Amino acid sequence: MTALAKTLPGRRSHARVWIPVGRIVLAIAFFALWEFGSYTMGREWLPTPEATAARIWKLATSGQLARDTLVTFSEATLGMIIGASLGSALPFVLRLSPRLMKALEPFLSAAFGVPKLALAPLFILWLGIGMPTKVVFVASIVFFLMFYNGMAGVLSVDPRLVAMARVAGAKEWIISREIVWNTTMPFLFSGLKIGLPRALSGAVVGEFIAADAGLGWYINNSRSLNDITGVMAGVVVVTILVILVNAALQRTQARKLAWRPVARDMVV
Amino acid sequence: MNATATPTLEVRGLSKRFPPRSGQAEAPWILADLSFAVAQNELLTMVGPSGAGKTTLLNIICQVDAATGGEVQFEGQTMRLGNGTLNPGWDCRFGYVTQDDNLLPWRTLIDNVTFPLRVQGKLNDQTMARVTELMKTVNLVGFERYYPHELSGGMRKRASLIRTLAYDPPIILMDEPFGAVDAQTRTQLQQDLLRLWNLGRKTIIFVTHDIGEAIALGDRVLVLSRSPAKVVAEHRINIKRPRDLSNVYKLEGFGDMYETVRKELL
Repeated sequence: MTALAKTLPGRRSHARVWIPVGRIVLAIAFFALWEFGSYTMGREWLPTPEATAARIWKLATSGQLARDTLVTFSEATLGMIIGASLGSALPFVLRLSPRLMKALEPFLSAAFGVPKLALAPLFILWLGIGMPTKVVFVASIVFFLMFYNGMAGVLSVDPRLVAMARVAGAKEWIISREIVWNTTMPFLFSGLKIGLPRALSGAVVGEFIAADAGLGWYINNSRSLNDITGVMAGVVVVTILVILVNAALQRTQARKLAWRPVARDMVV
Repeated sequence: MNATATPTLEVRGLSKRFPPRSGQAEAPWILADLSFAVAQNELLTMVGPSGAGKTTLLNIICQVDAATGGEVQFEGQTMRLGNGTLNPGWDCRFGYVTQDDNLLPWRTLIDNVTFPLRVQGKLNDQTMARVTELMKTVNLVGFERYYPHELSGGMRKRASLIRTLAYDPPIILMDEPFGAVDAQTRTQLQQDLLRLWNLGRKTIIFVTHDIGEAIALGDRVLVLSRSPAKVVAEHRINIKRPRDLSNVYKLEGFGDMYETVRKELL
């Protein structure tokens, strides 16, 4: 056995110990900093972690946490599903017609350029202050992320693979399903990676503007009551939600893209 | 094996040029009035300098690319290549082993090899048995569940070779299929190819820039000129089969033929 081979397993087990330890240390440092900040600035400016945790616990036991989370989560999910499916389907359609692609191009970039937040008053006017407004708002954000990522994927399809498949007898829909779809999937995952947190924050921001339920509503309502602990609790809950959703996506991606030679996708 | 008596494939007056680039009045001709014929079960090799338009020629023959003029006749069916829609692979009757292995990176080795069969709806016990047989012949057994990036260059080449053989097209075009591998692997692959060709004789057009390879494999060698490609010479290779390629330079008649072709290529 070479010296290198002897050291390798040892190194690996070191890494296995050090990564969690490092994370715990960083977490403690983060909370210490937070604690320190709230003591120096004053609790009315920055509530302590304990106070925030206590508030989250209170919200959880009263059932309000579940209600507001469910509202925000459904808005984000629905908007995500609508925006992501339309946004990823369009590149596949455009691939079949380069002329349509050319024709649509300026309109899509113009629509992408419109600040979605500025459209919020119109959405509220048309759809009211309930769920549909946030769903459309989220969908309009996610659509473009998925569309541009999907388009980049479709354009990166290897024409040699397509020629090979055609010679082998593949018809257009098999080429779409087998080659275009598989080439595009990693691009769609990076779209989702950016899109999922955006969807959640889109729903939250939508609730800031006009709502009667949801985490964004809770944060905004707390702010108007000068209840900074409430604001902080809301922010923490939204953050936890984003982390959970991201972890779920990470697992799906690892399974779906196992064929790829590199496995260094960003976990952050 | 007489090429002129019963050609299975005949190429007549093929010419090709790509659309001119900006600032270019006329694009150069890649192929100009190229004609040749291949007999049933013949292994025809074509040797030409790099950039002679060999890949373009094969692309046109199996209808991946359009020609500017000329026609191709295959088993009595004439295809005018100047216009009209292309039918890549002539309804799966042409196999095409390209320069790159073009394996699907998201499919395992076995799924890649059976891809044409699956697409053509011909994947059954019988064809699967054939695939297994081919896998054995080229020593890929045990690697069925590997992804292409986990395989060596030679293994990928063999996979792409038997992917085409698996659906048994009557004619196969090969475009420098062993170009990018080391010398030993290359000899092994050539030997594999001859063995496979011997198992079930079929018509093969094998294009290469390697004179030795063209002579060692072929029944007949066509020598192509620089672009625009024309057939400048034709030689029947009378080296007897089976040929031992591990020592190709000692095969009778190889040296003289090599010299002749080398001079014609200049």
